[in-house]
Amino acid sequence: MFYIYPIGGGKGGSGKSFITANLGVLFASLGKKVVLIDLDLGGSNLHTLLGLTNPSTGLHDFLNKKVGDLHDTVVETIVPNLSIISSVSCSMEIANLFYVQKLKIIKAIQRLQYDCILLDLGAGTNYNTLDFFLTSNEGLFVVTPEPTSIENTFRFIRAVYLRKLKHLLRQNDFSDVLRKLTSQSKNGVMGSPSEVIETVMKIDKSKGELLLDRLAQFELKFVLNQFRKHTDVKLGDKIERVCNKHFYSKFKFLDNISYDERVHDSIFSKEVYIMKYPYTPTAAALQNIVNKMASNGKDATLNRSVAL
Amino acid sequence: MKKLEELTYFDILEIPINASSFEIREAYQEALSIYSEDSLSTYAFFDGEERKRVLVKIEEAYSTLVDEKKRAEYERQLVREGKIDMSLVEDKGPRKPIPLFQVGESKSRDAFVNRIRHKVKAGDHDEERKKILDKEQLSGTDLKHLREAIGLTLEEVFEITRINVSILRSIEEDHHESLPAMIYLRSFIKSYAQVLELDPERTLQAYLKSIAPS
Repeated sequence: MFYIYPIGGGKGGSGKSFITANLGVLFASLGKKVVLIDLDLGGSNLHTLLGLTNPSTGLHDFLNKKVGDLHDTVVETIVPNLSIISSVSCSMEIANLFYVQKLKIIKAIQRLQYDCILLDLGAGTNYNTLDFFLTSNEGLFVVTPEPTSIENTFRFIRAVYLRKLKHLLRQNDFSDVLRKLTSQSKNGVMGSPSEVIETVMKIDKSKGELLLDRLAQFELKFVLNQFRKHTDVKLGDKIERVCNKHFYSKFKFLDNISYDERVHDSIFSKEVYIMKYPYTPTAAALQNIVNKMASNGKDATLNRSVAL
Repeated sequence: MKKLEELTYFDILEIPINASSFEIREAYQEALSIYSEDSLSTYAFFDGEERKRVLVKIEEAYSTLVDEKKRAEYERQLVREGKIDMSLVEDKGPRKPIPLFQVGESKSRDAFVNRIRHKVKAGDHDEERKKILDKEQLSGTDLKHLREAIGLTLEEVFEITRINVSILRSIEEDHHESLPAMIYLRSFIKSYAQVLELDPERTLQAYLKSIAPS
């Protein structure tokens, strides 16, 4: 069994890094070999959440060609089976990664030999984040039950779709379709994913169906983080239903992770929350999420050959 | 985003094709809570125009599916368009009330009553009838014997006469203390006699003699 799970969600502060760190610990406790990769380039935090102040190596060594293999940048954590590739020592301009470097990282990630690879993505919908997300056909969104976060999540999903469509159009000899699309669009900017598909359908139905088929292969999961009392307990189910009805892929809501003041304490003490407070409702929800992800992995097919 | 036009009313409300009107109402409330303007679950999912179209479609779906006639018409249309299978909309089971003790046997009360009448006429019980009517006094037990000879159940008698089974039983068992008031009893005896094809008036007179305080 092998997974790459990009963990994203669009909005900053929703708890992507927190959840990456805690899920990592839980997956490792199942006896899986786990590596966490901090791909929030220019906003790296993951090492701090795991109690590492100064990782000995990291992504920068791979990009600077100090080491040839991404595997050599892995740093062990105090948790057995759990390691991390940090990006904290990357240059101050790392947020604006070159295209070639990005490709290099993605290809290297896909070659890593681990049972479980969790990618901690940054906020926003820039190309780096979207392309890292598209490393896998699966993904986990961290959403908080607030309008801002939900808005950004929907936006992120659409951006992922559009990016995926563009890749597909380039890969599959759709150049004539692509030319027509860009000539129709305003100022060379493509429309929404559904507009793209509609146009392709009109030009060539079989190609449009191929696009739909590829989008349908995505299996996207989401959790509601920082869930507070008095929030609609059915909110997650409702979002799942809306997404399944109106988007092209399969969506699954995993659980509500209740808000806990002690998360703050654990970050201050630089200990992983789940290890410091393993018997809280929040910890139980995290455990439940890991169980669901692990059991689903049996039939999940992973796309290891994403070419850009 | 998938196109709204491609969704059927059943898709929109997320209900199975054989959903009951109760399920439809529930699903409608749920859909309103998801798609209303101030709903968190679809915040910023639609622009104003799109949301309006979705809400209009939900209204359409609800008003069509709760109306039996419109719903049947809509289902036929879906079958014609090949969107759903014929077998899904056929045979929705009974829609009219059916006799209380005959669930699943017959859907029409008339047919049922006729069948019982036929049963009463078919058997050759005139001999027994004559014997009963010749008696000076006639008890409930006599009626019971005749009924059993014909092969009727108390429930079948109830279906025709609408006399409560427990009252019929009191009459047959001659539990005089639990009989209804005389005014009702007279008409009950006459109807029961009619079912058994006995002369109602003569039966009543003989019966009244049997229960009169001596």
